[in-house]
Amino acid sequence: MPAILEFAEVVRAFGGLRAVDGATFEVAPGSITALIGPNGAGKTTVFNCATGTLRPDSGRVVFEGKRLDRKPPHRIAREGLVRTFQTARPLTRLSVRENVMLGAKDQPGERLTGWLWRPQAARGREALVRRRADELLELVRLDALAGAYAGTLSGGQRKLLDLARALMVEPKLMLLDEPMAGVSPPLRLELLNHITTLRADGVTFLIVEHDLDFVMQVADVVVVMNEGRVIAQGSPEEVRRNEHVVDAYLGKRHEAVAS
Amino acid sequence: MFWQLVANGLVTGSVLAVGAAGVSVVYAILRLVNFAYGDFMAFGALIAYWFQGPLHLSMVVATLLAMLATAVLSVALDVALWRPLRARRAGFMSLFLASIGLALVLRQALLLVAGPAPRFYSVNPYRVFVIGSVRLAEAQVIAIAAAAVAIVLVGLFLSRTTAGRVMRAMADDRSLAAVSGIAVSRAIRLTWIVSGLLAGLAGVLAGLVEYSFDPNFGFQLLLPIFAAVVLGGIGSVYGALLGGLVLGVAMELSTWSGFAGGVNPTYKPVVAFVVLTLALLIRPQGFFGRARLA
Amino acid sequence: MSTLASGGFWAFVFVVAGIYTIFALGLQLQFGFAGLLNFGQVAFMAIGAYTMAILVAKEGWSMWLAAPLSVGAAALGGLLLGLPTLRLRADYFAIVTIAFSEILRYVATNDDALTGGAQGTINLRGTGVAAQYDAQWQRFQAHVQSFLGLHSRDAAMLVLVWGVAVVLLSLTWIAIRTPWGRTLRAIREDEDVAASLGKNVFAYKLQVLAVGAAFAGIAGLFYAWEFSFFSPDDFEPLVTFFAWMIVLLGGLGRVWSVPVGAILFGVIFAGTRFFNFVPFSYFGSADRAYLRLMVIGLIIILTVVLRPQGILGKRQEMVLE
Repeated sequence: MPAILEFAEVVRAFGGLRAVDGATFEVAPGSITALIGPNGAGKTTVFNCATGTLRPDSGRVVFEGKRLDRKPPHRIAREGLVRTFQTARPLTRLSVRENVMLGAKDQPGERLTGWLWRPQAARGREALVRRRADELLELVRLDALAGAYAGTLSGGQRKLLDLARALMVEPKLMLLDEPMAGVSPPLRLELLNHITTLRADGVTFLIVEHDLDFVMQVADVVVVMNEGRVIAQGSPEEVRRNEHVVDAYLGKRHEAVAS
Repeated sequence: MFWQLVANGLVTGSVLAVGAAGVSVVYAILRLVNFAYGDFMAFGALIAYWFQGPLHLSMVVATLLAMLATAVLSVALDVALWRPLRARRAGFMSLFLASIGLALVLRQALLLVAGPAPRFYSVNPYRVFVIGSVRLAEAQVIAIAAAAVAIVLVGLFLSRTTAGRVMRAMADDRSLAAVSGIAVSRAIRLTWIVSGLLAGLAGVLAGLVEYSFDPNFGFQLLLPIFAAVVLGGIGSVYGALLGGLVLGVAMELSTWSGFAGGVNPTYKPVVAFVVLTLALLIRPQGFFGRARLA
Repeated sequence: MSTLASGGFWAFVFVVAGIYTIFALGLQLQFGFAGLLNFGQVAFMAIGAYTMAILVAKEGWSMWLAAPLSVGAAALGGLLLGLPTLRLRADYFAIVTIAFSEILRYVATNDDALTGGAQGTINLRGTGVAAQYDAQWQRFQAHVQSFLGLHSRDAAMLVLVWGVAVVLLSLTWIAIRTPWGRTLRAIREDEDVAASLGKNVFAYKLQVLAVGAAFAGIAGLFYAWEFSFFSPDDFEPLVTFFAWMIVLLGGLGRVWSVPVGAILFGVIFAGTRFFNFVPFSYFGSADRAYLRLMVIGLIIILTVVLRPQGILGKRQEMVLE
């Protein structure tokens, strides 16, 4: 099966520093692919090249056969590639429900002329969107807070809101930026369950993570970067045994990978 | 004619550069766009006038006193207005709007006390310096010289003194600087002092160069100064200096007949804005600015 | 206080409040709802007023054609400003918008052939001819007055201005509750999140800038009709700052707080004219004008310090900012 997302010789420099120095790897459809590596390996930069936040200096990023590297972030999202942010970013002065409803695609009411010329269509769609939003909120167990300002949510609740909101966009591939960062153990379990359930529904994941326990538990494929390049790619066991990977992670990481 | 215009441009640019440096230093350290800065300049210009005219002090002494007075005003306003706002964690918008209110209050106060009639310094308009095809009046030469001295002093202050280094540390990362034990409030007070000194100087120089000035002239200068600050990259003092000089020269040079007849001199401020907009299209962060608002 | 002025005076104050309501509503849409730092709003008022005056007085157009076209011109002005500048960071955008409004004012002052120059609209058809653009409007106003049985032209103007204001306020109120409005508010909160959900942030900002500019253009039309004459100096940055003050006073992000802020502002501004008591009585009339603007400035400062959420805003929303 062809890869859903490909990085081919991606290069990105900042000033004189080559943060990504020829990264090449693939993401298989329906997989959970984890992108790991020590600090400064270039993971976040590669990630941002896929989301459209950064433009690679050279190389290609291809999603379902279409090139992404020249597209702006909102177009990439419309293609089906949805990202979350490392620190949860709720739209604080909108309600929880409005946050999720925002994710809806194809809502004619969102166009200036849409609600002027086609109010019926907009209203009908809005009812559907609202129902779907409530379903998603139920899924992440935030339905009781649907009417509250998103700014009043706790840290963990905000992460769940981010997830529900991203799901509203009906992503084919989800790009998660350190989803486990600063997350309590019970919430980690909940997020992990959501991710595996979604994978069963056919959503592909590319996850940048530092939490190697999580990665080894959940990932189908692990891609390891160091100094801007991909140094290993394979199943968690293969990667764990790879001596290049072990070398790249020194000190505490060394024990975590070897265990 | 060309070189004469370049020289005139350096004169205008010097004034803009000094003004822009004063605006920039406050923005860099306090993230505050001080809309009342033009009125600080007008204040300085008027104070110098009172010392030089009615009190017959020399221009140099009058200028120094005006700079001191403006610095005092600057710090007083920090205590009266900016500090309470900082305590309330006011955001960028609140600070900007408060500075607009302040500008209104200051300008009307100046008009109340001084009236709208134009004033001018008693400098000799006939003393002219000639270098090749360029003729500069005494006032213009003073402006360039004073600005150059001020720029060098500010540069030395920021790079060589402890206080200057503290200020630069705060500009880079305020919370980190606070945590590392730097006396934040003292540095803030210094920032306002430096800004006030520069505003006073810029006001006097502008008054010298424009020949006559009134309480309203501060705002007219403020926009080209903001343009210089943005062109240089907001928050960068060196950028502000460079931006000021570039804009000054661009403004004067645009009237050169060699540029398809040249721009009508009354449109010079428009040239400044057009240059700014074009520059921002090419390089949105200005010469030395950072790409995104932190 | 000595005698308050007649009903005619207060009718005038409320007409101006109505004009400012429409003007500031555009700003509320741009900043209060979408987060755009537009400090050049007065430019679009000028475009509306001048386009109409030029078309009617110089080209002999009917007011009924010229007026909608002028509003369109203002909206177009918003598009032209926004296209190169909306990608700039917020504080640069603010400065460039002021520059834009000053450039426009400059051109209006110096291009005598187009705008009548510094002498204003009376000069639109060259020296020697006193150009007028509001003959049709005066007739219309008289019709409205007799139709509604009102006893003065001022009353008719009041009805017309506030009628349009209420329509625009209602339209805006509805718009904010649509998905389009929701996207605007999302952009105000966090552009990057909005983009990550597939929203074309730039396009939305452009739309809002143009719509807000159109509102300012409508305000410009009423300004032109109310005063029957104007010059470039009527469109100085201070007017935009007054609108900011109104939006701030009333409360950000609320539609109906705009007329509240505008009426308050109008009453304060006009009311300070009657400060005949000590210490104001010590000052001559020119000085009192300065004092009044000082009072306005102080009110802006006090509002920012003491009640940043404005009269009708919620403290809670402020805290979440």
